[in-house]
Amino acid sequence: MNAPLLQVEKIEVVYKRVITAVQGVTLAVPDGQIVALLGTNGAGKSTTLRAISGFLGLDDAKVTEGSITFEGTSLQNRPPHEIAGHGVVLVPEREKVFPNLTVAENLAAPVVRASKAGDRRQQEERIYHFFPRLADLRDRTGGLLSGGERQMLAIASALMCRPKLLLIDELSLGLAPVVVGDLIRRLAAIRDDLGIAILLVEQSAAVALEIADYAYVMENGRVVLDGDRERLRSHKDVQEFYLGQGNGVGNSDGAVRRSYRDVKQYRRSRRWYG
Amino acid sequence: MQLLINIIVLASIYALIACGYVLIYRVSRVLNLAHGELMMFGAYLVLACASLFAGHPIMALCAAVVLSVVTGALVYVFLMRKMTGEMVLAAILTTVALGILVRGVIVLVWSSQQQYPAQALGISNPTFTLPGDGHISFWSLVLVLTNLAAYGALFGFLRFGRWGMRMRAAGQNPLLAAQRGINLHGVYALAWSLSTLTGALAGILMALDSGVTGSMPVIALKAFPAALVGGLDSLGGALLGALIIAGAEVLLIYYVDPLLSDVVPFLVLVAMLIVRPWGLFGTREELDRV
Amino acid sequence: MFRPVPRASGYFRTDYAQDMALLQTRAERIGLAALVGVLVTLPFIATPFLLDLACQVFLASIGALSLMLLTGYAGQISLGHAGLIAAGAFTTGILTREINAPFWLTLPASALTGIVLGLVFGLPSLRLRGLYLAVSTLALHFIVIYLGGEYETKRGFSTGILIEKPSLGGFKLTDGRAWYFVLLIFAAATLLICINLLRSRSGRAWRAIHTRETVAEALGISISGYKLLAFVISSSMTSVAGCLFAYYRGFVSIEAFDLFLSIQYVAMIIIGGMGSLLGALLGATFVTIFPYAIEALLKLLPNVQKLAGDIFAVNYASFGVVMILFLVLEPLGLVGIWRRIQNYFLLWPFKYKPLASMRK
Repeated sequence: MNAPLLQVEKIEVVYKRVITAVQGVTLAVPDGQIVALLGTNGAGKSTTLRAISGFLGLDDAKVTEGSITFEGTSLQNRPPHEIAGHGVVLVPEREKVFPNLTVAENLAAPVVRASKAGDRRQQEERIYHFFPRLADLRDRTGGLLSGGERQMLAIASALMCRPKLLLIDELSLGLAPVVVGDLIRRLAAIRDDLGIAILLVEQSAAVALEIADYAYVMENGRVVLDGDRERLRSHKDVQEFYLGQGNGVGNSDGAVRRSYRDVKQYRRSRRWYG
Repeated sequence: MQLLINIIVLASIYALIACGYVLIYRVSRVLNLAHGELMMFGAYLVLACASLFAGHPIMALCAAVVLSVVTGALVYVFLMRKMTGEMVLAAILTTVALGILVRGVIVLVWSSQQQYPAQALGISNPTFTLPGDGHISFWSLVLVLTNLAAYGALFGFLRFGRWGMRMRAAGQNPLLAAQRGINLHGVYALAWSLSTLTGALAGILMALDSGVTGSMPVIALKAFPAALVGGLDSLGGALLGALIIAGAEVLLIYYVDPLLSDVVPFLVLVAMLIVRPWGLFGTREELDRV
Repeated sequence: MFRPVPRASGYFRTDYAQDMALLQTRAERIGLAALVGVLVTLPFIATPFLLDLACQVFLASIGALSLMLLTGYAGQISLGHAGLIAAGAFTTGILTREINAPFWLTLPASALTGIVLGLVFGLPSLRLRGLYLAVSTLALHFIVIYLGGEYETKRGFSTGILIEKPSLGGFKLTDGRAWYFVLLIFAAATLLICINLLRSRSGRAWRAIHTRETVAEALGISISGYKLLAFVISSSMTSVAGCLFAYYRGFVSIEAFDLFLSIQYVAMIIIGGMGSLLGALLGATFVTIFPYAIEALLKLLPNVQKLAGDIFAVNYASFGVVMILFLVLEPLGLVGIWRRIQNYFLLWPFKYKPLASMRK
């Protein structure tokens, strides 16, 4: 396999010069694949994503060690618009659309990367084709969309930048399962039809492992586990802690719940990087 | 009739100044209290250009306008850029400090006496008589027309222009805008340039009409209530607010007491803040921003 | 407050009396004694010019302390401070002109005006925050100034109101030295009031409101009550400063209270350092002395004659520059610099404090 599209090497992120949020995280996103980053609240997923997308400077945080390389260019601690100019575009977790702009304007505002005359129109058409629902909502203001429509618009407007790598923070948060399922199919289509790689941050491992080709699990600011979809799906700890399929958990027939000793075992068995 | 003309001229002055406040506030949430000083600077630039391009009044005026735009961009690049991401209060106080600095420099360079750029340029200021026995000076008329043109252009630009759209986007959600490849510094610098441009136009035209002194920024301070009454993030609001403030001011001066001139806008402002703090067309949620 | 004083060794309080004591260590007591000594001997060795400067610093300190209380601690931005000083000065001026009121009447009357205006200035704060509050105080400033100007013109004092020097118990305050002590006492009293307010319930409530209003309310703090209290206390102290200013100058005119004065007061607390009473004092001293320092510096330059006429403008411009420099480079102000120097010596040869004792 040749060099991956995005390579994150042992990065360390420090907030306000004292609080270390992420330590020694290494991950890679190969061309044309969906890579998921899993973990619970506060595991450092979002921080990693922010480090890649250049969001950090605004929180008084910095990548202090390691490197982030995208197609051979170093991205760490660059301003967000430059990173977007390189083709790495983020769909943030919250406030993902411009609330007072209409849907059409939301799609018109992004800067199209390396565009010639006519590219924008073509790109717009392609996106309306991809998300036909947005074409119906063209003149609705962004603030009035439903959660699912908003997520759609956010992804669509990110696609307007003609990214090579799409970063998505919490795809499924606050959305109905039906909507999530629909979005997931679309992400797969983005990967397969448009050839865009995706780095997906998710709390819900069940959702992520449905489409991801490869996944990393983070805890306490470190990557503790990684592997391709099948490996993680069959991994016992993942099944138990993230997919909720472990022995005893979710059992209605009064089976014995597993004791905390097994949790300890899990902690001992996990791998530490960095 | 004369009253009506006075109201329209004053409203145009206020509106042309107020849209500068609105532009910067809308895009970067910063209240530019140096607007008056930058406006005055534009007026003095005419004086400087008049001696530079002696005999070419049009060219001198154009040069002054261009220089004002450059000034606005420079202010952002060298000063306000450092304040992005800081507390809004600190940013506002920086503009206050900038205003003090500019004012001091202007007095140093041009002294504080009243000067007449129109004479320096060698242009006259004829007065027209309108039907209904109203009088309006030539430059006041130009100012009213400029104001209308400026608002038309700004509306069009913000509504349909690509960068205008990006300015609106950056104002609503700067983080997301940056993620969509929009260079925030570029947008902010653009807002400062445009704001200084409109401010300087107002300053230049006022100076051509009636000369310029060191007390010109007071007018800009009085235009600020116009922006706020309309809603700090609304251009249409600024236009209406200017009309309300100018109307109240002219009528009260005429019928009650000329001393009220300096205080009327602020009385209207306080009344507005009590009744509807976010202004006539402003967005409500912004109240919580500090 | 002067605390937290960085100390090389740990200093731990063992009972409440210690915690409440104003001066907690011997070093603090000696420091204060030395300061008092200097302040008391100063007027006997200083030139009249220096004496005048010191008096101005004290006057500014009262205003700066009260603004610090309001903005630095309670978090309510005010751009109308000059209006409040004007209100105190005009109350004094009007009372002495109209009913020939003595000092003991004008002083409380000024404080009362301050209280009333504090309520007026404070009312918008119940609905408005941040920028909008600043704007509303700015507007009130203009309204107060307008009322003063109106009085001046209607009564025919178009150039200003003359005020006779006050007499305290048969002793007429004309001597610069006497003024020095009177103002020193007032400034010290203001400082003491501020310290006590800040370390009691009200001070804690203000800080809570400043940090997060919603949470403070959830904790059972009456937001509107404490906000108004901050405005009332701050503006009554400011008005008292205005009253003293009127007597000290012997002359009141609206020209003295323009917007620039308000900005100067805001500059004092910014340059001094937000959220610190020491900062207010340092800032007041800095801003008061600044123009004189610039003047002195200009005299050192060669072509003085050329600039002499524009000294006001030079002052203006350099004041703007200094304010910008502080805002951009040292947001913590003089206190920040002071603390850093202290820390440098205390922690030497280390560079940082251990994390556990990190203070903001």
